[in-house]
Amino acid sequence: MNYSRYEYETEEELFFYEFTSEGPKGNIKKLVEYSKTSVENVYNLAFGDYDEEKGGIDDKSITNNGDSQKVLATVASTVYAFTGKYPDAYIYAAGSTNVRIRLYRMGLTNNLTEISEDFFVFGLKDEKWEMFIVGEDYDAFLVTRKNRKFEL
Amino acid sequence: MKIEQLNNAKIPIVRINKRLEQFKGKVLFKEKLEQANKTLAKVGLPDLPKK
Repeated sequence: MNYSRYEYETEEELFFYEFTSEGPKGNIKKLVEYSKTSVENVYNLAFGDYDEEKGGIDDKSITNNGDSQKVLATVASTVYAFTGKYPDAYIYAAGSTNVRIRLYRMGLTNNLTEISEDFFVFGLKDEKWEMFIVGEDYDAFLVTRKNRKFEL
Repeated sequence: MKIEQLNNAKIPIVRINKRLEQFKGKVLFKEKLEQANKTLAKVGLPDLPKK
């Protein structure tokens, strides 16, 4: 990735990842989740702040910890890890807010050259998938590996 | 691991934490998953470009 990223931890199936955002607002735990959708081989990617004490997740929070690029690069890195284990997977991502959607688009745009080497990247517009175009507004995103034989 | 090593590795080096097993079988972002299922049911998947 073009941006530095946080170290993260995961569990054996690689469905959940945890890392800590560090910035002026302090250390904030982030959790990334890949969950099976009703379509075979399609997984929903979601991430948000994790409150360890409450055991809850907030995927609408705007942390403003000054590290959104680094957080996105970290999330993007988990896509490499996840699809390393599940090379046939499609990863679906939609922001919970317009700000989040813009953030996802920004992350894809900033890393598109590198991501496109390894993944097909689609954007959802007017209920149709199209190949991701920089600068376009999309409602959701979908990525899948070009080389399905790849394994970790 | 040094951050430089991490940044240079396109394929991330994965560290396992057993504590995260607590989430196994759970859906933490239920609303988003429901929305994803609704959207996917409506739009399906794109055709992959032919080689």
